[in-house]
Amino acid sequence: MTLIVRSESLTPARTTVWLEGRLDAATFGDLDSALRDITPMVDNGGTLVIDLSRLEYISSAGLRSLAQLRKQMHDRDGRTLLLNPQPQVKKVFEIVKAVPVAEVFASVAELDQYLDHMQRQITG
Amino acid sequence: MRLCIPNRLEDVFLALDRAELTLDLADIDHACRADVRLVLEELLVNTVRHGYPDGREGRIDIHLEIHADIVRLELRDDAEAFDPLQHEPPELPGDIAHREVGGLGLHLARSIASEFEYARDPHGNRVVIRFDPSLSDEPSL
Repeated sequence: MTLIVRSESLTPARTTVWLEGRLDAATFGDLDSALRDITPMVDNGGTLVIDLSRLEYISSAGLRSLAQLRKQMHDRDGRTLLLNPQPQVKKVFEIVKAVPVAEVFASVAELDQYLDHMQRQITG
Repeated sequence: MRLCIPNRLEDVFLALDRAELTLDLADIDHACRADVRLVLEELLVNTVRHGYPDGREGRIDIHLEIHADIVRLELRDDAEAFDPLQHEPPELPGDIAHREVGGLGLHLARSIASEFEYARDPHGNRVVIRFDPSLSDEPSL
């Protein structure tokens, strides 16, 4: 099984990346290379949503790719939010305390609500 | 399942697929299969990447036994001496973006295995790992 990476930018402020398959020492390079094309399309201060609904498996090699991505987005005042991690991925995230729980969402509705809330805080 | 592979990444991934198939055919549940795959990947990739700094050809033996209540994995290699149990647990600040990369793979392997033993003998490194399938449940996150 390989890794499939798809992305969609509805607005320059928000891009979604869908991961499907396994993110491991054999496939992390595919994600890194896809992200090199995707992240420049996100505005500074924008949001990158990683949809993990169809990611079956992650290992430390995959965590390194996600860590680099989060660092890059932080450096540009942006956010990386994670959507719907599956059991194995959740377990790995939990063991290494990969991301703040507040930045992981079970559904698109939850995530939209969070972004609306953040937007309202900014616009006051 | 008994496999002997050369110290190459592509062979590691063939071994991972073989191990997963073996567990699947023995009706080991999905969560435990994923645990075994993860521990195997972390340990074997580490051995292949760091165990042979002189670039020589090496060999890794993988022995996977499935019993009623335990999955036992034994790895032997002729790499540099390396005891995965001697490494300090990494710092986990709560966001992977705020830490140095590295050290997470061994931490994952040790956290997921029910039992983990290491020995060095004249043939090389020997690691024995046991998995309890009844403990491979879903996390509470």
